[in-house]
Amino acid sequence: MILANLYNKVIGFFRQTETQETETAKETACNRLRVVLMQDRTNLTPELMERMRKELVELLSKYVEMDKDALELNLEQDGDQVALMLSIPVIRAKDEEEIKAALEASEDSSDVEYAEDEDLDDEGDFEETEDENNDDDDEDYVSEEEPETSEKEKVTENEKKEK
Amino acid sequence: MSGRVIVITSGKGGVGKTTTNANIGTALAKAGKKVVMIDTDLGLRNLDLLLGLENRIVYTIVDVVEERCKLKQALVKDKRNPNLCLLAAAQTRDKSAVTEEQLKDICDQLKKDFDFILVDCPAGIEQGFQNAVAGASEAIVVTTPEMSAVRDADRIIGLLEAKEEIKSYKLLLNRVRPNLIKSNDMMSVEDVVEILSADLIGIIPEDTGIITSTNKGEPIVNDEKSLAGKAYNNVARRIIGEDVPFLNLEEPQGVMAKMKKFFSGLMGKEKS
Repeated sequence: MILANLYNKVIGFFRQTETQETETAKETACNRLRVVLMQDRTNLTPELMERMRKELVELLSKYVEMDKDALELNLEQDGDQVALMLSIPVIRAKDEEEIKAALEASEDSSDVEYAEDEDLDDEGDFEETEDENNDDDDEDYVSEEEPETSEKEKVTENEKKEK
Repeated sequence: MSGRVIVITSGKGGVGKTTTNANIGTALAKAGKKVVMIDTDLGLRNLDLLLGLENRIVYTIVDVVEERCKLKQALVKDKRNPNLCLLAAAQTRDKSAVTEEQLKDICDQLKKDFDFILVDCPAGIEQGFQNAVAGASEAIVVTTPEMSAVRDADRIIGLLEAKEEIKSYKLLLNRVRPNLIKSNDMMSVEDVVEILSADLIGIIPEDTGIITSTNKGEPIVNDEKSLAGKAYNNVARRIIGEDVPFLNLEEPQGVMAKMKKFFSGLMGKEKS
């Protein structure tokens, strides 16, 4: 287990440096600036974004089963307008009964449950490189089982790339 | 006469506000305009140094405000150009020595006698910035193609947009390095303009001549050969209202530069 973790981290590190190499210094600067300016202009701090992300995960989990750690929420600029881009890797859609159950559960909403979620998510943040790898694996897994959802997912990914 | 009051600001320090001020002021004066420059960087004055006027200052803006002298007495005439004056900052006081109201009042008085009042703003977004902006109706935001400078410029633009008195602001991109942009190591002019979505009034190339010109206390616009000097001259002409195309900064055209390029080309071929 520890070895696997270590392996993932090492691979993750190399993957990161690889992607950085393909991106020129100028592109890195532009991309980083865009993100930071979005935050400056909207007063949405990283903490608030993270909170929004968590709440969205909570909300959307009622309806679909998704890869929570791979959910991406970004502010992007399109001309003068600021857009919230949300990319959700859907593992599978929930059936009616599951949704009902989830909705009922949320009605009795317990703060305890939310607090637990937060702890889990925080852990995830520390090992983001690992998440990225998992993300890739999950995608393959999904495409084998349910081609429909995986296509949708790819569309969102593509849209994101175009932007 | 009702002069235009233009504040030159940047947020970040060290991007070339004061250099820009000295050069645009000198260029405007050379074009026959009556120009006064106000240094509002109380406690950290430098505009006098760039103009080579540091030994001529008798009274400062604080003396004017505290009524130890008349406004006209405090204006220091430039060595070469009688059209150009400086109202120096006090070096021994801090930003609280002059208020927004007082600065506005000084600008209003100067408007009657000058075509252009250029206000040199201190770095930062605190009271010093608020003071400098108070009397102005136009602004030039100086930035460089570096992340921190662009970010700070964005902040300044946000603050300027919130000010009713500021009718227009323009972007001046300083210390541009065409070679780095070509190799994709530095953000290009287009990148910065797109990110800040502001109108451009000038592109100034990085120029080692700036250092020597500062050392001599002589603005680089006086050096006919300097590319940065030319670029600053063009900014002044655009301010006056002329339609001047932006300089092509690609590759210095000196003999040495060409030789270097030729040899590096040869080396490259050998390797491959």
